[in-house]
Amino acid sequence: MKFPAQTRTRDYWGYLFILPSFLILLVCYLIPMVMDVFFSFTSYNVIQPPRFVGVRNYIQMANNRYLGIALRNTVVYTIIVVPAQTVISLAFAVILARVCNNKWGRFVRSSLFIPVITSMVLVGLIWRIFLATDGGMINYFLGILNINPINWLGRKNTSMISICLVAIWKSVGYFLVIFFAGVMDIPRVLYEAAVVDGANGFQKMMKITLPMLKPVTYLVVTLGTIWSFQVFDLVYVMTGGGPGFATSTLVLNIYNTAFKEFRLGLASAISLFLLLIIFLISYLQKKGFRED
Amino acid sequence: MRGKTSTYLVSLLFVVPVFFAIFPFVVMALTSLTQRTTFNLRFSPRDFSLANYIAIFRNFNFLGYFKNSLIVVICACVLNNLIASMAGYSFAKKRFPFRKQLFWIYMLTIMIPGQAITVPLYIIMTKLGLLNTYVVLFLPIINAFGVFLTKQFIEAVPDDLLEAARIDGCGEFLLYFRIVVPLIKPVLVSLTIFTFITSWNDFIWPLITTNESAMYTLTLGLSLLQSNYTTNYGLVMAGTTITFLPPFIVYLVLQRQFVEGIALSGVKG
Repeated sequence: MKFPAQTRTRDYWGYLFILPSFLILLVCYLIPMVMDVFFSFTSYNVIQPPRFVGVRNYIQMANNRYLGIALRNTVVYTIIVVPAQTVISLAFAVILARVCNNKWGRFVRSSLFIPVITSMVLVGLIWRIFLATDGGMINYFLGILNINPINWLGRKNTSMISICLVAIWKSVGYFLVIFFAGVMDIPRVLYEAAVVDGANGFQKMMKITLPMLKPVTYLVVTLGTIWSFQVFDLVYVMTGGGPGFATSTLVLNIYNTAFKEFRLGLASAISLFLLLIIFLISYLQKKGFRED
Repeated sequence: MRGKTSTYLVSLLFVVPVFFAIFPFVVMALTSLTQRTTFNLRFSPRDFSLANYIAIFRNFNFLGYFKNSLIVVICACVLNNLIASMAGYSFAKKRFPFRKQLFWIYMLTIMIPGQAITVPLYIIMTKLGLLNTYVVLFLPIINAFGVFLTKQFIEAVPDDLLEAARIDGCGEFLLYFRIVVPLIKPVLVSLTIFTFITSWNDFIWPLITTNESAMYTLTLGLSLLQSNYTTNYGLVMAGTTITFLPPFIVYLVLQRQFVEGIALSGVKG
């Protein structure tokens, strides 16, 4: 038995229940997004009131060599990290699900998850020490193989790749868990039917596993890209953007512009740029995955 | 895979990634007990001492950092559970005007990349006079993801149950606390773990919003340790070990919920 009239009067309680979260989202997400737009047209250093400067910040952005380097580095980082972590975690997930879906497999997943729960700062710190030129763990092992010590984080061509490898090392376990859940969700019947039709392992992989994992792969690639574009902690701790500007990234550039140079207007413009890039990437990936 | 031998062989190959995942943390813990400046595989019990840990607590305010992190984590977890599940309940069970539009706005905020709104959020917090407070550290941790998560679960709660409680004269808040909250405990555990990890590991936000060392969190204190004492590996490793342990212990205890909770965060996209 229903009480429509009574229920309707009570329904305005709904507003009261969402009020606290709405206020927080308003202050911490919605207003800042609008402010990004507003401050991007101003010159502002927190102490003096913001001054309207038109599109000056955008012109500066377009001509800023360091921002260009940071953008290029961020793209390079993303292009290395996202495909690598996606392929490795996918391969691990499929093999673990098919071959060792047992206690050992669970232990493997649990172990690979340990880097995931640790902070980027911690990971950056310990790897910075492991990668030290003199007395670092990596060079110690290379020394055993008679390879001369390498200045991993101090040289232009090795610093970025070192950071990428650490990032991949940290996140494989995370995407593995997502992929593993995806593989386990594929109905067994599909494989049984394929066996009846005489399909081999490779065909099952190409015709069943990969197509069925498409939504999960979309999720992993999109999340991976969004997070890669926001890389900061690892770079800040491991190299501080150096040597020179070899590992400076977009968010590091925003951080330095806002909190080292106190040019918050310009930093807002770069933030808005980052926001648009990420929205665009999410949109394009969604479209790309839907089409094929 | 054909045959048992190849199955065993493939299983055995996973020793390599497991080694890569665990070994650095083992080295971290061992190094933290030594006074070494270079890496060496030979660890003898004679090298080990707690000197670095004593130094880190005595000479640096690590106890204070630890306390700050703990307060921020507890506040973030309690508030996020409470506020998110209240909204989740409302969106799942209440029928009020503009419900759909409001939920759409909530989902929009999930898509906003945090780092892109850090600067204006910093300006807001400065104007509100909240820099160097606990509030500024835990407030932005609360987000719409928890609302989305709890809404999914509360939708499965039968309407008749809520209706029966109402007929018995149960008030709206009591209904939420006494009936809804106990029913969604598993998802609240997942949300707690997720919030715990996010707030414990948060870095750029504390870095920007605290400049008094009395307010530093553990992650922030850690980063300062390295900038001043880069070559004192044992000391830095003692700091990282201390920071590593709380999430790791929680992980060992609540492993299943942990992995599920983090995997659920994948729904975020």
